[in-house]
Amino acid sequence: MRLELKGLTKKFGSFTADDDIDLVVEPGQIHAVLGENGAGKSTLMNMLYGILAPTSGEILIDGEPVTFEGPGDAIAAGIGMVHQHFKLVGPFSVADNVQLGREHTQGLGVLSAKAARKAVLDVSEEYGLKLDPDAICEDLPVGVQQRVEIVKALSGPKTELLILDEPTAVLTPAEITELLQIMRNLAAAGTSILFISHKLKEVQAVADTVTVIRRGKVVAELEPTASEAEMASAMVGRAVTLQVDKTPAEPGEARLEIEGLTVVSDAGVKVLDGLELTVHSGEIVGLAGVEGNGQTELARSILGLIKPDEGRIAIDGKDVHGASPAHRIADGLGYIPEDRGRDGVITEFSVAENLVLNQYRDAPFARRGAVNAGAVRKRAVDSIAEFDIRTQSPEEPVSALSGGNAQKVIIAREFSRPRRLLVAAQPTRGVDVGASQFIHSRLVAERDTGTGVLLISSELDEIYALADRIAVIYNGRIVGEVAPDTPRAVIGRLMVGADIAGADDTAPAPDDADQTDEEANGGDR
Amino acid sequence: MAVDTMTASPALVDESVPVRYAKAGAVFAALGLFVLIVAFAVVGGDDTTLVRFDRTLTDAEWAMPTTVVMAILGALTAAAGAWMLAGVPKRRFKLVSAIAVTAFVFSLLIWAYSQPGTVFRAESILAGALFLSLPYLFGALSGVVCERSGVINIGIEGQFLMGAFTGVLVANITGNVYAGMVGAMVAGLLSTMLLALLATKYQVNQVVVGVILNLLALGFTSFMYDQLKKAEGLNSAFSIPTISWGPLADIPVIGPVLFNQKIFVYIGLVLVAVVWFLLYRTRWGLRTRAVGEHPAAADSMGVNVNRLRYWNVTLAGLISGFGGAWFTIANSLAFSKNMTAGLGFVALAVMIVGRWNPLGVLAGALIFGFTTQVARDLDASGGSVVPGEFLQMLPYAVTLVVVAGLIGKAKAPAADGVPYNPGDK
Repeated sequence: MRLELKGLTKKFGSFTADDDIDLVVEPGQIHAVLGENGAGKSTLMNMLYGILAPTSGEILIDGEPVTFEGPGDAIAAGIGMVHQHFKLVGPFSVADNVQLGREHTQGLGVLSAKAARKAVLDVSEEYGLKLDPDAICEDLPVGVQQRVEIVKALSGPKTELLILDEPTAVLTPAEITELLQIMRNLAAAGTSILFISHKLKEVQAVADTVTVIRRGKVVAELEPTASEAEMASAMVGRAVTLQVDKTPAEPGEARLEIEGLTVVSDAGVKVLDGLELTVHSGEIVGLAGVEGNGQTELARSILGLIKPDEGRIAIDGKDVHGASPAHRIADGLGYIPEDRGRDGVITEFSVAENLVLNQYRDAPFARRGAVNAGAVRKRAVDSIAEFDIRTQSPEEPVSALSGGNAQKVIIAREFSRPRRLLVAAQPTRGVDVGASQFIHSRLVAERDTGTGVLLISSELDEIYALADRIAVIYNGRIVGEVAPDTPRAVIGRLMVGADIAGADDTAPAPDDADQTDEEANGGDR
Repeated sequence: MAVDTMTASPALVDESVPVRYAKAGAVFAALGLFVLIVAFAVVGGDDTTLVRFDRTLTDAEWAMPTTVVMAILGALTAAAGAWMLAGVPKRRFKLVSAIAVTAFVFSLLIWAYSQPGTVFRAESILAGALFLSLPYLFGALSGVVCERSGVINIGIEGQFLMGAFTGVLVANITGNVYAGMVGAMVAGLLSTMLLALLATKYQVNQVVVGVILNLLALGFTSFMYDQLKKAEGLNSAFSIPTISWGPLADIPVIGPVLFNQKIFVYIGLVLVAVVWFLLYRTRWGLRTRAVGEHPAAADSMGVNVNRLRYWNVTLAGLISGFGGAWFTIANSLAFSKNMTAGLGFVALAVMIVGRWNPLGVLAGALIFGFTTQVARDLDASGGSVVPGEFLQMLPYAVTLVVVAGLIGKAKAPAADGVPYNPGDK
């Protein structure tokens, strides 16, 4: 299929999300669309998939203009989409998720479980995507869930164009390598692929051509051979350095000591299973791991939002058992939560109010129980200048800010008072290159003042850029602590539960272990 | 795929290791002791509990010594409690609580029917229990269809009232009781259509709409009731025949319970099977569950979320409207103000107890029907040791025990009550 977009524009009120986008995807081509968060990539894809109607412009398939009333029309026209946020019904089986919307029936609307199962097996065999049709989706690892999404997209009546919207965000390095290989195979078989990403390495690895969009406009058409720096500056609109400058760490006394920490979920699963971890002052400990291996529970336990079932947490040498979160924060714990919208900011509150959320009871922000608006405003003006928060005014609600700027509000808040220990969970998630760079340099500066920093991140790049020591979490345990110069392949294997030394013992066959090794190495590109 | 094979699953809490359940154990132990004390101190040593199959084998009668049976059941409850206090394997917990609850309830029943002059008329009580479970069944099934699609229908009470009222009115006008039933269904449909429209097109808060629709239905039917009193022959009671299946009706126990009932019973039981089949075995059901669980996923596959929700909620009104007709037509009663008496809300509880599954709903409705029937029977016999007001609490007390002790956390459809806008994540 040859897809052409001509002058595609989408306006939301006075805001133009996409402005006059021209783009051509040739048959069997992998076409990467590169852009920062909020550049208009997702809006563009939603128009292509019939979820949003364009304000103006047209979509041509094999030269014919088409209009989509809904995703059903797009599917019928041969477009399949793998969404950034998976669109899988958790309690449904794989087969049911794949057949949703185009069910296999034995007449009169009665489902045929046999036909649905066979259809999944056929597609998974044709494209080499192994799946169990009867597995329940919410029980599957994210990498497999994504495979379900791909099979679902390929199961359309005649899928010839696949849209992959930020497909690697939640995958392990090995899974990413595998996905990139799947993409190459699909393209070789004639499927056109639109690959939405902001990860430069992946784009370089698979794309045939690269379109960069910034603020809703096409700003560059690049070859995949272009350097990372070239792509990054096209995305951001100015030159960016991708390296973080830092001196060797000078670790001091222990600031965070965790011993035998165990947390049991409501479902009876040990989400943390006797975890041991120590963070010293003046060092950044990077906690690497695939999401869902206990990182969330660990961060929440340190803050005091979860009461551990067993084990001991000491901050600054003091057992914090029974201390409330407010108490721990007052004693010098800084916390950057992974879910910004839920735990980090109150989106309906103004920037100024969010900036004092951890100090609103203290002078000078409160006087005899009443808020001192002048002091709050002054703090906001200072923080906005210092942390370069792009907002129209301190009174603007945080919901109006971009993800990166909302994150800067949290960073500014947490950095505005003396700290002994900082827990930063996914500090640059959904944050663009420019703001990430800023946040990274602040974290290093923080370390240099003697704070102990625990950096929890599912992005290996981020761990490598910042960490002085890397701990890998898997199934609620620290499965390895390694130096920051450890090769990615080793960490990649730890992240999926393979021993460094005993990989051959845990793998079912030597062949398999070798293959994993290669894949993990491939992910290093 | 090498990665998958290496992935070990996370550690689980071992379910065979005994765990102490201090609260539940203490409660059951106390209840068991209470039963034992009653058995030996309150119940007379010569008291007997009479059981009779009152419809088929009218001559036979079984008498059991109240004290002995109560003592056994009380000991069972107390033993279950003691086991929990000492530590019981986690996977056995539900079974043990179920035994304790059942033993306790039966011991109370045996005590209640131990008074001279009271007889446990097994067949009448069971047949009545099935009949009395119907309003809960219809209401909860309507709720299941709505909530599985992601719309909270708190207005079942109002749909009952509209159905009860319209059913009688239409039957009076046409002179045909079956036309009355159809009228009740249409009345229910019109009420839910309003809910469907406000919930999908205008995305109003569904709980608020439901409450308002209840008040609207109460006001409307009460007003109309006063108006109809002035006219003759618009609110007279109609009755429907009991269907007897000939010789089948003479089989002990199951004959009177299953083969000698009004058409409402058969429609209710068939509806359970039909709704279950539709939900779990058809295209409509797959889409409905998807829309209630993850509407964005359904939307991305070309399912029109709000249209499906609209029609599901609207058609669910047919079921709750028909449930309304039970109050008047099935009971051979004329309409009276607020005659549904909150059963529409209890039906919502039954839906939750039944975990949004038609089969679970049937079980929940039967528990409610049974307790309601026992309470009525004891109240009517007048010889009960327990006051009537207490007996009327019985269904609700049982609900609390069942919901808290046995069901645990019930998981609603993920998108239940959440309006959907195309483009949402």
